[in-house]
Amino acid sequence: MLRFSKEIVDRPITSQVILEQGTPVNILSAHMNQQGGEILVDIESAHADKVIKAFRDKGVTVDVRKLVEKDDDKCIDCGACVSICPMDALTFDEAHTVVLDEEKCNGITCGLCVDACTTRAIRLLG
Amino acid sequence: MESSGVQVAYKEVDVVTTGTFGAMCSSGAIINLGHADPPIKIQNAWLNDVPIPHPGAAVDLYIGATIGSETKPSEYGGAHVIEDLIRGKEVELRATAYGTDCYPRTRIETTLTKEDLNQFYLLNFRNGYQRYSCATNGRDETIYTYMGKLLPRYRNATYSGAGELNPLTNDPDYETIGLGTRIFLGGGQGYVIGEGTQHNPKSRLGTISVRGDAKKMSPEFIRGASFTNYGTSLYVGIGIPIPLLNEGIAKKASIRDEEIVTDIVDYGIPRRDKGAIRDTNYKELKSGRIDINGRDVKVTSLSSLKTAHKITETLKTWIEGASFYLSQHVEKLPTDTVFKPMKQTGETAFVESIVHEAVTCREDERIEEVAQRLVNRSVNHVVVVDGQGKLSGIVTSWDITKSIANGKKTLKDIIVRNVHTTSLNDPLETASRTLAQHNISALPVVDGERRVLGIVTSEDISRLLGGARSG
Repeated sequence: MLRFSKEIVDRPITSQVILEQGTPVNILSAHMNQQGGEILVDIESAHADKVIKAFRDKGVTVDVRKLVEKDDDKCIDCGACVSICPMDALTFDEAHTVVLDEEKCNGITCGLCVDACTTRAIRLLG
Repeated sequence: MESSGVQVAYKEVDVVTTGTFGAMCSSGAIINLGHADPPIKIQNAWLNDVPIPHPGAAVDLYIGATIGSETKPSEYGGAHVIEDLIRGKEVELRATAYGTDCYPRTRIETTLTKEDLNQFYLLNFRNGYQRYSCATNGRDETIYTYMGKLLPRYRNATYSGAGELNPLTNDPDYETIGLGTRIFLGGGQGYVIGEGTQHNPKSRLGTISVRGDAKKMSPEFIRGASFTNYGTSLYVGIGIPIPLLNEGIAKKASIRDEEIVTDIVDYGIPRRDKGAIRDTNYKELKSGRIDINGRDVKVTSLSSLKTAHKITETLKTWIEGASFYLSQHVEKLPTDTVFKPMKQTGETAFVESIVHEAVTCREDERIEEVAQRLVNRSVNHVVVVDGQGKLSGIVTSWDITKSIANGKKTLKDIIVRNVHTTSLNDPLETASRTLAQHNISALPVVDGERRVLGIVTSEDISRLLGGARSG
């Protein structure tokens, strides 16, 4: 989550960061007006540190958020979510525990697993 | 146990422990509340807003797992009330009655925990299916079933049961499991109290009914579940010890996943007999991938293999530590019962009975030609087909009106491509549900290859249903 204050909201910071870093920044949602704004972006994990630093250097407040959360106390390892996931982010490990790979998850652009979960253990964030 | 080692196993192993942890809808719990002062003979009751449709005499209630709460029917139900009680949580009771000379009270509201109850026992009338079908969906839309969420056009599949760990699978002729068999139930101990409803031994689809003290159970092995757009269900952990009394029993208990055959079924077909796409086995299912009509499909369980393993281990530890004693059954499960379909006195109508010829057009026709056809044939829908007669879209009189208003000139610009369809075998209720869900007025009738066989409209359906009612 990128937060832009009133002072910097009119600058083309996101485009500058994309050009300077030469890496794609996928905008998932954006709310902007003259008072400031918030943009939720998805950044490739390999470039994350660099890109976050670039935004911070330009005065943007950066909150690193997970896209999805699995409550392991609620999860009963049934697997209803596993066959649904198009990214193979939800899989069984060797002990038949359902594990979530947050790096692979597409977050709110997908969300197929959320209503498939029988114990409502999966929550999308952002 | 490898089958080559059956003799060795029979000599060295006394008991095989089995286990499963899956959604078992035909589950519930009996509670006895004790008497209020003045007493009440409960007619209607709610626990945490979940209606209790079948109270017993005065203060006995049966909490059915699948009954949804009045406020959030598919999120919270009887199954969750049972789990909350097992967790020691307080639940709210609301009850009404008509009042009698001996039970004058007509209303009561109170809170209860399991400690306040006289009896709280799980009483499940159908659990532990020997094996179960693997579910997939051939329809064009996602469906929500008791077998979970099934994506369109065979994009995923689900199955249930623990395969070679499953209790009845290891004793397929019910030689050791019967009425009176002591079992692991929900983290506590319980008993098999007979065959389950729909017990179908000849098709290797046996079931059991069970009972056990829920006060001693654990939420690790009894869990409320919500199946979106279906309702609630209860995950139940069951473990059954199988004493290897002879070599025959030992051999049967050495069954492997690849020997347990089940079928892949299209849950997109809204009929009782869905037919099978093909056979499969639990080894293939547990591999996570199956082939359906030539495509590689992800398949996963709905029951937890992890918890099933934990149940078999726990039961083993109990037996070794002498905190669980095997019991001999007092009566065998039947091996000759049949599972009959429901007797229906009224006739059910299917799409087949009202389908009529569809007025069709090709994509390259002019809007004016299509408009002319709508007028000449007095219809509101024209089905767009390709050279092989396969569905490629639909155009309604409304779409044509809009094209005039918006200045659209070619048919291609106004064709609706995402068309909901039905098939000859669909019950009218299903077609009518699709029309209502998507707020549309007609459905092309197609076959498996999407060839257009005709059309049904909401007018056809209401005419028939209206006629059936008045007739």
